[in-house]
Amino acid sequence: MYYIHKIASITHQDSFNQTDVNDSLVEIAEDTVLISPDYKKYVLPASLRRLSPILRMAVAAAKECQEAITIPVEAISVGTALGCLTDTEKFLNVINTVEGEILSPTAFIQSTHNTIAGLISLELKNHSYNMTHTQNNLSLEMALIDSMLCCDEGKEFVLLGVADEAIDFLNKLKPIVLPENSIVTSGTTFFALSKKKSTAEIGFLACNSIIKPKGVEVEIVLFLRELKIEINEIDRVYTNQNSLDFPKEIVVNYEAYSGLYFTANAFGVHMAHDWLIKTAKKYALIVNSGCNNSLGLILLKNDKAQN
Amino acid sequence: MEIFITGYGVISSIGTNVEENLSSLMQERTAIKQGLNSYTSKFKVGEVALSNDALKSAFDLKTDGSRTALLGMVAAKEAFKNHSHFNALRTGLISGTSVGGMDISEVEYRKEMAGEKPNYKKYFHHPSGTTSEQIATEIGITGFVNTISTACSSAANAIMMGARLIQSGQLDRVVVGGTDCLTQFTIYGFRSLMIFDDEWCKPFDNSRKGLNLGEGAGFLVLESKKSLEITGKEVLAKLSGWSNASDAYHQTASSPDGDGAILSMKQALKQARLEPHEINYVNAHGTATPNNDLSESKAFINVFNGKVPPFSSTKSYTGHTLAASGGIESVFAILSIQNGLLFPNLNHTSPIEETGLIPIINIQKNIEVTHVLSNSFGFGGNNSTLIFSKI
Repeated sequence: MYYIHKIASITHQDSFNQTDVNDSLVEIAEDTVLISPDYKKYVLPASLRRLSPILRMAVAAAKECQEAITIPVEAISVGTALGCLTDTEKFLNVINTVEGEILSPTAFIQSTHNTIAGLISLELKNHSYNMTHTQNNLSLEMALIDSMLCCDEGKEFVLLGVADEAIDFLNKLKPIVLPENSIVTSGTTFFALSKKKSTAEIGFLACNSIIKPKGVEVEIVLFLRELKIEINEIDRVYTNQNSLDFPKEIVVNYEAYSGLYFTANAFGVHMAHDWLIKTAKKYALIVNSGCNNSLGLILLKNDKAQN
Repeated sequence: MEIFITGYGVISSIGTNVEENLSSLMQERTAIKQGLNSYTSKFKVGEVALSNDALKSAFDLKTDGSRTALLGMVAAKEAFKNHSHFNALRTGLISGTSVGGMDISEVEYRKEMAGEKPNYKKYFHHPSGTTSEQIATEIGITGFVNTISTACSSAANAIMMGARLIQSGQLDRVVVGGTDCLTQFTIYGFRSLMIFDDEWCKPFDNSRKGLNLGEGAGFLVLESKKSLEITGKEVLAKLSGWSNASDAYHQTASSPDGDGAILSMKQALKQARLEPHEINYVNAHGTATPNNDLSESKAFINVFNGKVPPFSSTKSYTGHTLAASGGIESVFAILSIQNGLLFPNLNHTSPIEETGLIPIINIQKNIEVTHVLSNSFGFGGNNSTLIFSKI
């Protein structure tokens, strides 16, 4: 088990530092916006001005997780599907409009995917392992698999996180590249992970990510069989899929609350985590199925479950 | 657990396969020259001379994709040639890239800005993750596919990730490396940082001014012992050490003393259970920027206690291929071990004043090369070291 010692999400929900994110959920609509904390508490005002939304929210969520544990994390593993889109688009505009030789490098510097994890290491003055995974909708799974490896290799605490940001341009890609009825949003979720239990109750038990799965149901059966868990032991399923072979009453569509960003399954994990604590149930499965024929499966377990 | 390397593939400006790259290295022949495309023609770059269509037909590529993906397919295909698929083996692919499909997106974006009708469908190729999925499709790998994006250390980190997944037993065999093509986006980006040399770059030279950009891809096949028993492949070399550490100093610049570089080299040596003096050759990151080369040189002096082994930067041949560099240079490291060669650092005339370190100036042949250390450092102080060893 890889215990979740702290979890922090900044999303279009009022999710940051809430005891239970499920308490105040509202269905995402076109006009919902990112609900940001006061970033000045996390980044010096002078630096804050230069930071795009994705960098602000990721640094704030990461710092919350680091501050919740007493010792510095020994690895930072970040997943992002599309990276720093605001700065990428800004620099595309700059190179197509600015005449002459002098270009401002700020947008370019902050356009690379690893700006997120790099900035976190800078802000935390952390010299440890620092990784950025980008595998479309499986970016959380990849960053999580790396975090689990880091824990297995003996690192006491690992900072795991995902972040993706919406820009208006993405709406132009509907319905060709992105689903027609989707509401494109931004969000970040960070976790402080450790194999040490101490006061934690919920942990990641397993994660699998598959390109070209044999079928969602088949893969779920194989995944659970490997863990020696029966399908009917799953208490709740969080998914972005419409038709899953589980009783309707235990299936929650997380995308209705996160909106569409390709690491939103991390918010599904957050919802599942808080639900398991509240109900003292044992297992929650997060099923993340992408349009590019890929499947991510994450199983959360509650050690304190009553059954 | 030992990590065996049983395949390698490379495409760069100095050659479209391993053999051609080796031949250029041996002949001390750079391919950096004035660019061929509208956005590269003002600069000296290490450009692969084949167009996308030429790449597709020359290498019989069946999968469509960005230039980044196509270059990756060429190198991954070469690495994986003569390898078969086995049901008993879990085979994955991990690729590093920094630009992904930007070469396509930047063209569509510019069209739209100019009032032309864009083809939004083309943005399908944009995500970095998609480039890896396309490479995996081309060589028939499904299941585990991952992309690392840590700027110029991406490929080195992809190789490291693959080794760790084998070590943990999650994969038996994995195709690992990286790919990046030249784009207007990166060329203007590095120009905005003002770290270009208008002439041929001079790594580790006192008068170095900056880097030349390049493009290409480099991939390896890593296998566990269990996998070898099934595939029966010949082992080219071993991956014996790896490490990643963070400089945590500045968004782009390296710390003056190379703190992150020191950490990553020391940790990789420790993991390989090697003493610094056992390293026979260092393939440096050596971008030829004033900042990197001084910082990396100081880190060498620290890690090797003043007795720095023969070292060079092969970026004087290929240009800085960004996310691909760790993959391409890993192939060069293995070639060094296999052929007993130490590759020279071109364009070097005077050592850096502060350190006095002199890189390898001419090709060295018939050298017993047992262990090679290869550095890749990325933006944001992402420092990675790989160590390759003779079997």
